[in-house]
Amino acid sequence: MIDTVTKYYLNGQHAGYIVTHKDSNRTLSVPVAEDNTDYQEILKWVEEGNTIEEAD
Amino acid sequence: MSTLNVDKVDPSTGTALEIGTSGDTITVPSGATFVVAGTTEITGTNNVQRPNAQPFIINGDMVVAQRSTSVTGKTSSGFFTCDRLQFVANDAGTWTIIQETQTTGDAYDNGLKEAYRMDCTTADASVAADSILGLKYKMEGFNVQEFKKGTSNAETYTLSFWVKSNVTGTGQVNMRDETNNRMCSATYTTDVTNTWEKKVLNFAADTSGASACTNAEALAIEWMVAAGTDYSSGTAPTAWETIANTDRAAAVTLALSGSTDNDFAITGIQLEVGTYTSTTIPPFQHESYGNNLQRCLRYFEMMADGRQDSDAIIALGFVYQTNVISLAYQWHPKRATPSIDQSSGTDYFRYARDGGTEDFDSIKIYIPNANTGLIYSDDAFTGADDENGWVQINNAAAYVALSAEL
Repeated sequence: MIDTVTKYYLNGQHAGYIVTHKDSNRTLSVPVAEDNTDYQEILKWVEEGNTIEEAD
Repeated sequence: MSTLNVDKVDPSTGTALEIGTSGDTITVPSGATFVVAGTTEITGTNNVQRPNAQPFIINGDMVVAQRSTSVTGKTSSGFFTCDRLQFVANDAGTWTIIQETQTTGDAYDNGLKEAYRMDCTTADASVAADSILGLKYKMEGFNVQEFKKGTSNAETYTLSFWVKSNVTGTGQVNMRDETNNRMCSATYTTDVTNTWEKKVLNFAADTSGASACTNAEALAIEWMVAAGTDYSSGTAPTAWETIANTDRAAAVTLALSGSTDNDFAITGIQLEVGTYTSTTIPPFQHESYGNNLQRCLRYFEMMADGRQDSDAIIALGFVYQTNVISLAYQWHPKRATPSIDQSSGTDYFRYARDGGTEDFDSIKIYIPNANTGLIYSDDAFTGADDENGWVQINNAAAYVALSAEL
């Protein structure tokens, strides 16, 4: 279950999202790619009213 | 030896004709043509419609478990132990999930030495309306076209599997068309506690709704073992219908989340084109471990796992910028653009270079596609540009993997 989603950048370009989970220390680095099911989960998570955080 | 030259052989009475007796060898000579006309069926344990094809179900014998062989405290859905099989849970207790090595029993005696097992560690005897518990196997569209779904030649489905539980009762299995949001179900019973039982379930053909021939999820098999009324207040459909959540577990009586005594294990999952019974289903098709693993790698690839090797090398590394290290890692082609899946923790990874070592916490992915991309970390490296070395695991709890699961 997704806990937080944070954008990350490389060379000033939005490269993807860091996803943390509520029931584990599992972390995902998720690319912005429509065929990636983790990315699809992020979009669904946002649709449910959650907010993506900007990088520090 | 005498030769009988006739154009047709008919039974003298009834409709059954017997050739030879048990133990005889009946030979069709090389160069001869053996014709099975029209819809005539050949029954028997060697009736394989796809004799040279790989099994539809990848890792059906549960031998490959790249992620882990045992996890605890699971309350929500995810892939945890045996590759390709997803644990499905919401508000239905807490579970330990293991790849269980078999030592006895009928599944073991049929060559199935590993199983996917879930054990309840915190019960939920009064499930909420939205509680659900089960397992799911997902197939991409490229791999299910042989069922000819959505055409006038649509095929039936036969699903076989071994199951064992301490609970007797009815379980429901749903065949799901994820392209067209349709489903069809079948039920089975666990009749004897703590005993492997082989189940063979038939699903109707569906002339409506073609499966998309893409890398996206097209067909899924769903084993339901507990659910609240949101998933159980309907009727289990034996004909294809638009997916109704209330039908997905309508026939389930197992109620596995009700006690910490409860467990459920499955192995030998086999899907066939056509209709078979427990006596005509072909034998489970074992693959070599190497072939099995290769097929799993399309969906998940463990790059390095500290739980197996606490200082495992991940890849050669070089400093791309003062604060960015790149990993020279070429992955197995994936189903889709992968994510980096890792455990997170302070100094879980190490860059060993000529000038010393630098430890860091996380790894990222940049502009990937299914076949290639940049794997890197930008956790404030201080090494000079172009200083080469290698990247390794630096904690026994650390792992890093590529995931392109459905």
